[in-house]
Amino acid sequence: MKILVPIKRVADPDNANKVKVSADGTQVTTEGLEWKMNPFDEWALEAALRLTEDGAAKSRVGEVVLVSVGPKEAVATVREGLAKGAERGVIVEGNDNDLDSNVIAAALAAVAKKESPDLIVMGKQTVDGDSNVAGTVLADKLGWPIINYAMRIETSDDGKTFAIKRDLDVGVASVKVTGPVVITVSDSILHPESVKNGVTPADFKYPEAEGGRYASLKGIMQAKKKPIAEQTLSGLGVDAKRTVTYKKFELPPARSGQTTFVESVEELVEKLRTEAKVL
Amino acid sequence: MVEDKTTSFMRSLCMGEIEEDVLLPFPQMAESEQETLRDIASALSGLLGPREEDFRAWDREGEMPSDFIDELKEFGLFGLVIGEAFGGMGLGNMAYSRTLQEIARYDASVAVTVGAHSSIGMKGLLLYGTDEQKKRFLPELATGERVAAFCLTEPGSGSDAASITTTAVRDGDHWVLNGNKLWITNGGFARFFTVFAKTGDAEQRGHMSAFIVPRELEGVSTSAHEDKMGIRASSTTMVHFDDVRVPAENLLGEEGKGFKVAMHILNSGRTGLGGGSVGAMKKLIQLSTKQATERKQFGKPIAEYGLIKQKVGHMVVECYAAEAAVSMVAGLVDAGYEEYAVEAAISKVFTTEALWRTADEALQVAGGNGFMREFPYERVLRDCRINRIFEGTNDILRLFVALTAMNDVASQLKELSSTMKGLLNDPIKGFGVLSNYAMKHASLQTNLGRPKGRFTKLHPALSEEAEGFETATRQLALAVDRVLRKHGKNIIGKQFASRRLADIMIDLFVLACVLSRAHASIEANGEEGAMREIQIAHVFAGQARGRIRRNFRKIDNNDDELIKALADGAFEDGKFAWDTI
Repeated sequence: MKILVPIKRVADPDNANKVKVSADGTQVTTEGLEWKMNPFDEWALEAALRLTEDGAAKSRVGEVVLVSVGPKEAVATVREGLAKGAERGVIVEGNDNDLDSNVIAAALAAVAKKESPDLIVMGKQTVDGDSNVAGTVLADKLGWPIINYAMRIETSDDGKTFAIKRDLDVGVASVKVTGPVVITVSDSILHPESVKNGVTPADFKYPEAEGGRYASLKGIMQAKKKPIAEQTLSGLGVDAKRTVTYKKFELPPARSGQTTFVESVEELVEKLRTEAKVL
Repeated sequence: MVEDKTTSFMRSLCMGEIEEDVLLPFPQMAESEQETLRDIASALSGLLGPREEDFRAWDREGEMPSDFIDELKEFGLFGLVIGEAFGGMGLGNMAYSRTLQEIARYDASVAVTVGAHSSIGMKGLLLYGTDEQKKRFLPELATGERVAAFCLTEPGSGSDAASITTTAVRDGDHWVLNGNKLWITNGGFARFFTVFAKTGDAEQRGHMSAFIVPRELEGVSTSAHEDKMGIRASSTTMVHFDDVRVPAENLLGEEGKGFKVAMHILNSGRTGLGGGSVGAMKKLIQLSTKQATERKQFGKPIAEYGLIKQKVGHMVVECYAAEAAVSMVAGLVDAGYEEYAVEAAISKVFTTEALWRTADEALQVAGGNGFMREFPYERVLRDCRINRIFEGTNDILRLFVALTAMNDVASQLKELSSTMKGLLNDPIKGFGVLSNYAMKHASLQTNLGRPKGRFTKLHPALSEEAEGFETATRQLALAVDRVLRKHGKNIIGKQFASRRLADIMIDLFVLACVLSRAHASIEANGEEGAMREIQIAHVFAGQARGRIRRNFRKIDNNDDELIKALADGAFEDGKFAWDTI
């Protein structure tokens, strides 16, 4: 099985206080930021790796191709994914300011057409833009089904059909879909038994790990030798333009950081109503 | 960088010469290596980050579970310094040291387990192993299938390593090994021992050889896990060798050269321990800043009070200096310098003591919480205490620094004195030696005609600090000359004097490293961008200047004899002699 996993480098959400807005408010400045893989993408990568390996024997049985649309520096993020086990990477160079979900989806669709994967597994959103639309637009451009918020994925014996459980606010929806298909995942995909691919023994349990697996030092060394192809938007024939333009960015007002302890639920409700005015 | 890789910055400094090209530019890893290190750091946060509670529990239990050690193996932590051809990562000294820094942020026991393997346990094989020995053992050492341990210390032989009593007697194609080794890190599960044993006659002091001893050989056994003050989860045991027949091809290096092998291993391994210490300091600074900004007293965060700022400010200066010294030594090793033993010893002494001071102050910033086992401070304090003792105690290393660094001056004086004796036989040569010495002396006294008396490449923003360094260098050269002429060979027994000179040398080397590092930052970021680093250099130079002056003053004006007499009195009494009742 071949899976395409789109990944994005984002400002480390643990250092969100370093995010600054330019003086004219037209953009978020990127100087001094620490970068990491979008956490939602990390979950998608974990799901894709589980789908293409024998988890018990720790051997690969399929192929995961990483694709990142963004600045050249994103190569470090792709390399990180390769160190975790993906086979190769593609970078589509683009300036972050010229990209939105529509352009990204168009670029991903162009790469998918070249690669013809069985599946595209991706994060449902990125933690910087939080748009939550690229997956759906991508599926639309490809004419493939979109399954959002997957929390369990089970492949059929022939590897073409997938039984998927979707993580919804109101409960769990079970669907069956035949590939190729675009799947976005929720964090429940990190559950030790979330993925059944017919190769990993059915009773195998993955270790609990926040954000999915980490690379081993061996993986880091191997990643240096794995291929990363460089593409450009024009080279891929992508002429999509931004459909969303941002008018203005503002930082949220600073919080007072004050903590008030209350004696009872009644007092809490009272304070929420009269002081915080949120009820 | 200088052409001659046998130049030692400190040995030259004792002659009054500042070999600035040894320390400039400040060593830096290649961009690709930096990227690898960032990947390693992120992978380590995945491996060790979620284990905080485990580390605490294992500290109490005094052992880490074997399945965790298996995880370390699978992760690849035992292959850090082994070449890629043998399945390792092939990290250089600087990258290795930086990796240990990262591990030590999480847990000292893990850092020591990994460090004892790579820094010393298998280092002898890398430095002295034959191709055949490497082929045989490196692949298994890289995967951790064989964890390595360094076996030098014995019950009766600590700092005096030449006095070991473990013996190896040649018997045909084998050496028969007998003896006991004490406090062996990784002893409990190591399967590769680098063992030092006497191979000469009983009277031949220091005639020893190094051997590779696989655990499976008959007669190798280990005792129970030691109950330690710190690094409790790391394995420390006795290792016994009882008529162990070691194949002759397991001899490591030349027969009889074991002492040199041991010292070379320890010298080149020091940046591992240094890196670990720096990592712990960084962790403590992080904890202290959090504590200081979140803890409120008298209505405001304690970060706003002078005495808290003073502590944290000093921590920052010490950490910068420690990292500068460790990186410098690692850089010298990577650049192929051969004479770095003095500089490596200095980095070990300074860094382990800086960590101790930092741990103590961080605990103080945390107040009562610092004393509670619920918080990490007391564990760091317990863990780091051993750093000043193992891999050469800081006391022995101070003597080593002073005596080794003064060596060149001593041989010059020796030549001078033999020339004096033979002056009448060869007046022309004699005149040359004498006039060379007189010239050197005169130029040190007058500070005229000294080609290597100054830093010429440092940024002007550091000129005040550089001048202080140059003045102290001249004083050092004069003091070394004076002390050696006064004591001659007996300097070996003059520990008070040696220690003072060593402390001056430690301050000077670390200061030179700080200046080199700050200079590099000015070059890269401009004076404005490097402002805080210039300030660090200024503060460190000021502190060092004070200590150096005090030490110079005390060379001739001290209470050494009184203190010795008081100690002798106490030894005689066997107790404190006074009381108030």
